[in-house]
Amino acid sequence: MKWRVAAYLLAFEVLLTAKGQAPPKNPVGRGPEVVAAGRAVFNQTCTACHGVDGGEGERAPALVGDRRFFRLSEGALYGTIEDGIPGTAMVAMGKSMDDKDVWRIVVFIRAMRGSASDTDVAGNVDHGKEIFAGKGGCVKCHAIQGKGGTIGPDLSNVGAQMTLNHLRDSLVTATPIAPGYKPITVVLKNGETVKGIAKNEDAFSLQVLDYDDRLHLIDKADVQREDIGTQSLMPHDYDKQLTKDELQDLLAMLAKQTRDGGRKRIDGDGEVGR
Amino acid sequence: MKAVLTLALMTSLAASAQVTENQLEQPPGQDWLHYNGDYQSKRFSTLDQITTANVGSLVNKWTFHVPGQGGLESVPVVVNGVMYLTQPNAIYALDGRTGRQIWSYHHLLGKVKDREGPHRGAAVYKNRVYFTTTDDYLYALDAGSGNVVWQVKIGETDEGYSSPAAPLIAKGKVIVGISPGDRGLNGFLDAYDAETGRLLWRYYPIPKPGEPGSESWAGDSWQHAGGDTWLTGSYDPEQNLLIWGIGNPSPDFNGEVRAGDNLYTECVVALDLDTGKMKWYFQFTPHDTMDWDAVEIPILVDAPYKGQQRKLLVQADRNGFYYVLDRLTGEFLHSAQFERLQNWTDGIDEKGRPRRKAGMDPTLTGVKICPSSIGAANWQSPTYDPDTGWFYFVALEGCGMATMNTEKFRPGGYQYRAGGDVLLKDGTWEVSVRALELTTGKEMWKTVRVGSTNLGGGLVATKGGVIFSGESPGEFVALDPKTGRVLWHYNTGQEINAQPMTYMVGGRQFVAIESNSDVFGFALFEPEKPAK
Repeated sequence: MKWRVAAYLLAFEVLLTAKGQAPPKNPVGRGPEVVAAGRAVFNQTCTACHGVDGGEGERAPALVGDRRFFRLSEGALYGTIEDGIPGTAMVAMGKSMDDKDVWRIVVFIRAMRGSASDTDVAGNVDHGKEIFAGKGGCVKCHAIQGKGGTIGPDLSNVGAQMTLNHLRDSLVTATPIAPGYKPITVVLKNGETVKGIAKNEDAFSLQVLDYDDRLHLIDKADVQREDIGTQSLMPHDYDKQLTKDELQDLLAMLAKQTRDGGRKRIDGDGEVGR
Repeated sequence: MKAVLTLALMTSLAASAQVTENQLEQPPGQDWLHYNGDYQSKRFSTLDQITTANVGSLVNKWTFHVPGQGGLESVPVVVNGVMYLTQPNAIYALDGRTGRQIWSYHHLLGKVKDREGPHRGAAVYKNRVYFTTTDDYLYALDAGSGNVVWQVKIGETDEGYSSPAAPLIAKGKVIVGISPGDRGLNGFLDAYDAETGRLLWRYYPIPKPGEPGSESWAGDSWQHAGGDTWLTGSYDPEQNLLIWGIGNPSPDFNGEVRAGDNLYTECVVALDLDTGKMKWYFQFTPHDTMDWDAVEIPILVDAPYKGQQRKLLVQADRNGFYYVLDRLTGEFLHSAQFERLQNWTDGIDEKGRPRRKAGMDPTLTGVKICPSSIGAANWQSPTYDPDTGWFYFVALEGCGMATMNTEKFRPGGYQYRAGGDVLLKDGTWEVSVRALELTTGKEMWKTVRVGSTNLGGGLVATKGGVIFSGESPGEFVALDPKTGRVLWHYNTGQEINAQPMTYMVGGRQFVAIESNSDVFGFALFEPEKPAK
């Protein structure tokens, strides 16, 4: 089914450029001030259908969240707003809006949806690295490019994997524990204790990674007691542990983390697979 | 933290650990640390819980489905009960007792077109696991968590390179080969620093003008000459020599454009591990025109030969002959024809060079040549059992109607084969497992893989007196190494194209094999105790 969607989107792109015009170019830039301006225009113009900040509206899809096959390229978004989507309630806005405002909305939507690495994030990246390794304590559990702890997820590609909002949320709000990262203490019938995270578990066996990066393969028949933590080991109060600037610097640094020299995980319509 | 460490050391549980150089030099027992089992590629496990007498009660203990994958060809490695398993562009860590997943890592391709297989496995060293991707990255991952430690680009995917082979690790060097895949690209073999991923040396099997062997290439034919390194080779720690099979010359079927022996294609070469410099070579098929890659795994054995203890190398080659060489010098000692249908040569001379018959090259209209381009043997792993002193391998009797054409090289990874052969799968086409006496190549037995038209998977031998064999139609079979008699079989229900391996965890010997999209783990039957 994927190829059908991709083919449709491709056809849509062809349709846009078939007018004989050069692909439209963004004249307004992509900085945070443009995102802010775009947000203002969006919330004055689009909320009746799409909801405030694109969250969810009465008559049209939410523009944020985890959906596959979002239109993502600037050209595709611009064309959709400018010309509408035939056969749907999405009307052509081009005639009723200033062209630059259309572009500002495009930049805002991309900032909401694009990966953090696609987003221009204000902040001091070098200072963010210091926070990661020092005051934030992140490096004890998380590794970047092979350096750091193993008890938390590898963050070497986190800028490409998460949106900026998701990244911020993971630092300041309690989020469900990701599969494979539940803290666990296992007491065996022979008296031994293993502490770490449960990488996997069923009724018969348990696989634990301890705090020294050692894997333990455990038979449930050998277990006297196991305590699975209900809280993630990940602190979620970095807005209190860090100053506002420190948090922003950390975010800016994390947003930059991509593997393969910045190769984007998301690089066009129909290829989004978050 | 120290207290946790102490507990971890005290515990009787399996735990991931540092794989040392010394461990890498041992024959496979509890752990299976190499694609080929050990450096010598014997694939002989010292485990003996499963025996000739009890293998009849072997049962499937677990199955792991690899999502979205088919035609698996890799060999898992196992460290302290943790199994590391690859598919193209992904690696899984599994609990070797249960098949339960511990972690997985999926490499993201830059371009969808780069998604090609196959992939044949991982390597382990210290607390890291190494594997390559179809778009030519070499990865080092943390074995406990699956975190990426480093990744390096080893080839230009846009040019057509791919990296299917499992790495081999020796003395802190990660050895990886490449597959230009019959695309007229010159192969190479690389050594990377296991710690940092830094390239230490690169060996090119195709000599440049002026280098020894360059006289074996007419004109500028060396520029698009092949010489792949697409299968994991062997290593002799005593001599510090990597012993590696080299693939076919390009274009595969039109030899007219590359007159000469086309060194060092269709060779086994010995390289100094520290420098990558070639110490010796032996060419099985000079000026090959049938795509008979000589990458078949060379097995290193110390054994008496004509009354003298010798350091030998044996290989069943795709060209239809079994070879015995001295691995210190590459000296040819002996050959034996095992492909009964072989028709391209009048035998092998005293130097090891085939006496090629006139007119036995592909033509525009076609020539019946045996073996076919599939070869009389191929990448299916052979094994050597020191208890019988015999070499075991998967053989194919079969011919092809071989044609050539004038296809030209095109940059960008396009095929450059200039011909091919129609496989003559008539009544003579036969896949079998064969046992050969090590130094004479005399056939001791042959067990036909009934119903197989493809080579299928390879072999592993065990101290328990059992050889395991994966057959193409899906039967996983245990054979008696002395007689070839089938002792046990299990229908996996899917095509097998992978090599079996064996390991021990929690006091139980397991045997594992990949079959199409799944991995199967087998152990002796034990009644399960009800949960309390």
